Amino acid sequence: MKLEVVGKSVIRVDGLAKITGKAIYPQDLFMDDMVFGKTLRSKKPHAHVKIDISKAKTIPGVIKILTYKDVPNNHHGVLLKDHEVLCSKKVRAIGDPLAFVIAVTEKIAKRAIEAIEVTYEEIKGVFDPFEAMKEDAPKVHDGSNIIYHYKLRKGDVEAAFEKCHAVVEGEYKTSMVDHAFLQPEAGLAYKDGDSIVVCVATQYPHFDQLEIAEALIMPLEKIKVINTAVGGAFGGREDITMQIHLALAAMLTGKPVKTIYSREESFEAHSKRHPMTMYYKTGANSEGKLMAMKAKIIGDTGAYASWAINVLRKAGVHATGPYEIPNVKIDSYAVYTNNPFAGAMRGFGAAQVPIGHEQQMDMLAEKLAIDPITFRLINCFTVGSKTATGQVLEESIPLQNCIEAVAEAMNFSKKTEGAV
Amino acid sequence: MKKRGIGFASVFYGTGYGNGFPDISNAIAELGMDGKITIYVGATEVGQGAKTILSQIAAEVFSMSVEEIIFVCEDTSITPDAGTAAASRQTYNTGNAIKIAAENLREEMIDVAIERLGLNSRVGLAVKNGRIFLKTFPEKGISFEEIALLVGDQHLRRTGSFTAQTTQMDEDTGEGAPYWPYTFSVYGIEVEVDTSIGTIEVIRSVCAQDTGRTINPKLVEGQIDGGFAMGLGYAIYEDLNLQKGKIKHNRFTNYLIPTAEDMPEVEKIFIENPESTGPYGAKGIGEPVTLAVAPAILNAIYDAVGIRIKEIPVTPDKLLIALKEKEMEV
Repeated sequence: MKLEVVGKSVIRVDGLAKITGKAIYPQDLFMDDMVFGKTLRSKKPHAHVKIDISKAKTIPGVIKILTYKDVPNNHHGVLLKDHEVLCSKKVRAIGDPLAFVIAVTEKIAKRAIEAIEVTYEEIKGVFDPFEAMKEDAPKVHDGSNIIYHYKLRKGDVEAAFEKCHAVVEGEYKTSMVDHAFLQPEAGLAYKDGDSIVVCVATQYPHFDQLEIAEALIMPLEKIKVINTAVGGAFGGREDITMQIHLALAAMLTGKPVKTIYSREESFEAHSKRHPMTMYYKTGANSEGKLMAMKAKIIGDTGAYASWAINVLRKAGVHATGPYEIPNVKIDSYAVYTNNPFAGAMRGFGAAQVPIGHEQQMDMLAEKLAIDPITFRLINCFTVGSKTATGQVLEESIPLQNCIEAVAEAMNFSKKTEGAV
Repeated sequence: MKKRGIGFASVFYGTGYGNGFPDISNAIAELGMDGKITIYVGATEVGQGAKTILSQIAAEVFSMSVEEIIFVCEDTSITPDAGTAAASRQTYNTGNAIKIAAENLREEMIDVAIERLGLNSRVGLAVKNGRIFLKTFPEKGISFEEIALLVGDQHLRRTGSFTAQTTQMDEDTGEGAPYWPYTFSVYGIEVEVDTSIGTIEVIRSVCAQDTGRTINPKLVEGQIDGGFAMGLGYAIYEDLNLQKGKIKHNRFTNYLIPTAEDMPEVEKIFIENPESTGPYGAKGIGEPVTLAVAPAILNAIYDAVGIRIKEIPVTPDKLLIALKEKEMEV
């Protein structure tokens, strides 16, 4: 097939507007009669909470202060509806939203935030997922802190380990990190007849539309989401942050309402990458063929589930690395704690497991006195391979080519280098 | 003392929502009165290049330039749902939906052309540069603009939908076909460790990236550079300094991410092996490009100083402690 456009380095169609500053990000939006919103956030990681807005609402220039009482349906979340739009009785993480102040200027909104009286009755928090898994651990939500367990069982790992020529074990830990996109969250919402229009930078406008409609108990077609230019996302714009606050504020005040998060607030408001602890045991025979692998993966999803179930599932499926292994046992768990919530971030569970499986590969190669390139070539997926879940890789599996291309470009000599 | 080492890492990445969850993209292709093609689709440009890549796919269907494609993706009231800009799924999933919508529109336009030109069949027709014509007698043809005029106010407008094929895994054994397609990525990285201060510098980096088929080489290069930076930050810099649920490093003065100064030249090799279910053979690469960076750096650190660091990020303090411990063992 002769292709004319595909395969060409066409210049980005959105490039000129972005480099000339003409692209419109939500920070750039202004409307006549526009007012400002600001979010009051929890300073405690786990507490029963009461808020008193009576003083704050008398400050001149304050139009309205939204609390949980104003939210028609106070739940949202991409999978489990475990976030409250504004917390009603309990906060589960530092940064949980408690109130949304609407005022004629940003300065007045800030003053009103400071004037809201918050009474915290602290509850013992849990910050370590291993502690959180215990029966008697403080409960972040009503049920168990363990919200998901993925199991993969293939062959008989214990029997296979006994026959292995070399076995290596390791415990690996990855940290909670931020997407660090350049443009902190901002948005503007306004009423258009009996519809609400929400302008934000988001990854999935149709899902935001659905979550806003559900929270406001409005028909889907009465909510319109305008996706502005987006200053990076990497998974950090999948969960709702300000969208429902803004829509509700516009609905109840009838005015265009704008809010901009500072960098510090942005860090508190959106999800993070799941920190994972991963126990690995991997074994190979004397020819360097992988025979067995066992992994246990604990993922800390913080105070809310977000995509934890899908992330720990993806971690479990990808835990073997791209290698054929006849005997595999994998358990992955997603656990609530009172840490900032974790969700989608570039890799989505498949970013953490290579920290484990790729170091295991090098450790095994060293033990077997095989260089790391050859060891990977012996075991890598190719057309016709079966993954640990039993999926047949029936086409477009050029991993061997990738490994060989890198080895060649690095001038890696298989015989003389490699194992230290 | 400065010590160098090299490390490798290989990864795979399964595209899409996975596990049998309906992963659906919808798109609309419309012929405008000016002969341009408008694509309506709810797929977000997050900086990854979706607008360009997806416009190229539409342009390819009509053998026309990207300038003739108007791409509308910003408004939920006029665009169909194309799923999230995540899971490396927009090129594969939405690319397919757009290709189907564009092909449906093209066939409809050919029907109009056949009637207008008085031809007996579709055989031997070409679509190129805004015209539909007979290959053996190019004068026998009609422009997109003329087709639009003929159709008038009804507007030729066709939809396309694509649903990826995955299955739910067995709850007890994990058996199933949870994702498709899989994208592969391999990195080779050389580092230099300064054993006196515990810093790590990347000297050299090579990435061999499976793309299925590369839609836009420059944009894939951009993804690899960005993915490398993110992997480098993950491996040796980024630390929220979380204490009792409080993020202590919540600004870029203390939450360190790589800057241009920290970035090496990344040598990029595209491995093309078209995926038959992908649009023109393409696969998603947005996430795969970053995954092997951190483990390759960890393996390179071991090669350089003989220390296996099992917890990231490998900040200078951690590395210095590990070096000290190793010294004391000896």
